[in-house]
Amino acid sequence: MQKIFNLACGSFYALGAYVGVSAVAWYADAGGPPALFVVPLALAGLAAGAVGVVVERGLLRFVYDRDETFQLLLTFAVVLMMEDALRMIWGPSPRSTSGLYLTYGQLQLLGATVPVYNLIVIAASLVIALSIGWLLTRTAFGRIMRAAADNREMAEALGVDMRRVYAKVFTLGTALGTLGGALVIPATAAMSEMGIELIVEAFAVVVIGGLGSMRGAFVGALVVGVLRSIAISVYPELEMLLIYLIVIVVLVLRPRGLFGAAAA
Amino acid sequence: MTPVDLHPSRRQFLTLMGTAAAAAAARFDARPAFAQGPPVKIGVLAIRAGIAAPVGAAGLRATEWWAERVNKAGGILGRPVQLVVEEESNPKDTVERYRKLVLQDQVEVVLGGISTGVTLALGPVAEDLATPWLSWDGTTQKGVEETMPSPKWAFKSVDNEVEAIVAGILTPKYFKGIKTVAGIGNDYSYGHDCWESYQAVLKRYLPDVKFVLELFPKLGVTDFTSHIAAIQQSKADLLMCSFWSGDATIIMKQAAAVGLFKTMKGVFTTAGGVHDSLKKEFTPEGLLLGYNTMYFDDPKASALLKQFVREYKAKYNEYPPYECDHAYFDAESYKAAVEKAAGAARRWPEKAQVVKALEGIEVESLSGRRSWREDHVQMCSFYQGITTHKNSYDFVTISPVEVVSTKQAMKPAGAKLFDWIGSWKI
Repeated sequence: MQKIFNLACGSFYALGAYVGVSAVAWYADAGGPPALFVVPLALAGLAAGAVGVVVERGLLRFVYDRDETFQLLLTFAVVLMMEDALRMIWGPSPRSTSGLYLTYGQLQLLGATVPVYNLIVIAASLVIALSIGWLLTRTAFGRIMRAAADNREMAEALGVDMRRVYAKVFTLGTALGTLGGALVIPATAAMSEMGIELIVEAFAVVVIGGLGSMRGAFVGALVVGVLRSIAISVYPELEMLLIYLIVIVVLVLRPRGLFGAAAA
Repeated sequence: MTPVDLHPSRRQFLTLMGTAAAAAAARFDARPAFAQGPPVKIGVLAIRAGIAAPVGAAGLRATEWWAERVNKAGGILGRPVQLVVEEESNPKDTVERYRKLVLQDQVEVVLGGISTGVTLALGPVAEDLATPWLSWDGTTQKGVEETMPSPKWAFKSVDNEVEAIVAGILTPKYFKGIKTVAGIGNDYSYGHDCWESYQAVLKRYLPDVKFVLELFPKLGVTDFTSHIAAIQQSKADLLMCSFWSGDATIIMKQAAAVGLFKTMKGVFTTAGGVHDSLKKEFTPEGLLLGYNTMYFDDPKASALLKQFVREYKAKYNEYPPYECDHAYFDAESYKAAVEKAAGAARRWPEKAQVVKALEGIEVESLSGRRSWREDHVQMCSFYQGITTHKNSYDFVTISPVEVVSTKQAMKPAGAKLFDWIGSWKI
């Protein structure tokens, strides 16, 4: 909606991961029951989204009307600064959440062992995707967002305070990133450079799915995830090559992606 | 060239004055022997960003600990040690910083270098600039073969593949009846070389063993779910993993989530690099785990190691990894070489004399006695063992502890690795 190519989304994800580790450690020290650790984890992830207001009001609003190259450079600078900031606050060593990953046990599904926590995260992702869909299509704020994305000047002429809308939308997006980072952390470890990896994968996802399309992002993520898994099982050397081969094919044959809107 | 400049610049003069003032203050404090002469500048290259930042931080912390001790004890030949720290990053920039250390800061020696991708480029520069360079963890190997067999100024780390060779030697001892092996390592030279070396060694002990899967995810990956599924599918008896950073912790966690090591044995050649993140909740007992050249919880630890571990934990709230030992050894061997070359006259030696004295020198490092081989490669011992939960920490340690010397597990000077492994009498 803001027409900003935001590379810093990966950094928000990393920030959420670190904040999640600290929140869970604090919760454990305070004697909270392990079964409920996901509550402080998710709350901390959402709260970390507040950094979005700072970035949007403090930096991005100055480059909305500038060339995309400025926006890319600015958000890339944020990526590098955040990486250093994370290292300064949490130290250079990877941080993880002990054994909470297995708190909810494992399930046998179709002959495979699946941690219940993974199912919780999948369910949470679906709930978030549906909620965002509902927000966009069924609420007044969603209609304003879509109208502003379609024609910002017209929306402003009709009395919409775009400054507030942009700040809210960007903070919402940031909170989704930080929440994602927090939710993934029990299964992995927080590393200051984890955001960069996510940006690269996210790039493949949005190119395949189509820029600006929620359905596209959903399908693109599934395509990338499933293809990686198949490649690793069948021919591991092809893992990355296969994904970027598809990215190139999409860019050449269908530049708007699978679900992206056709260029005007 | 006389290393001690008789015509100091303004900055050097101020440093001298500062040192003199500190020395005077120390006398009034009635402290024991305090360094008197002009400071001896020691360049340090440390990785401080990216995936290897924890390793770089450990090396730097140990060097700072060493410098503090040396200065308290009177410095080197009465000169206090002054560290000049620069960042190790990519080869091009690191080479520039190396030149800056030698030409602009005029250091007596450069310590550090972790990534072999970087140190491969540093080696020839060290030779050009005629200043001793003692690498912490980087070699001048291309793959498993040496590119600088007879350097004058460059002193290199242990060959990269030694920990995989040690694991290959210990695998048949602890895991009887292994028939199939899967391997996973990072997709760069180290990961591939470790896997090749491990296979070559294991084949010597178990000629019928089959290697059924090899996976090389790139460095920095944080999700190994698909890799673990492929490892499970391979139904291998044993998994060999050469991860050494946060990815070792992550794969351990994600493997535990699907019960991988309930049916499979595991060898983690260098996961001791992140040992205190291998929590008991997800790291099983019975894995072979390598700590590289220093095991912080060594039951036979020297007083020096015990003191270092205690003070490191108090200062950083972490238990030190092996990089501390490489760094401490480099610094301590430099000091010993200067003192040896100075002789009874205690006259500060030329750099070339220091380099000569370093060859073959043996000193006490954190892990015990360590030395420089005549061809400028570190000699030491490697610590590996079977993971146990029987300790007072919240992470695994090893028991029993196997100590294997580089005399046994590293190719001799000038030898080709696979020819050498093939020549073993087993």
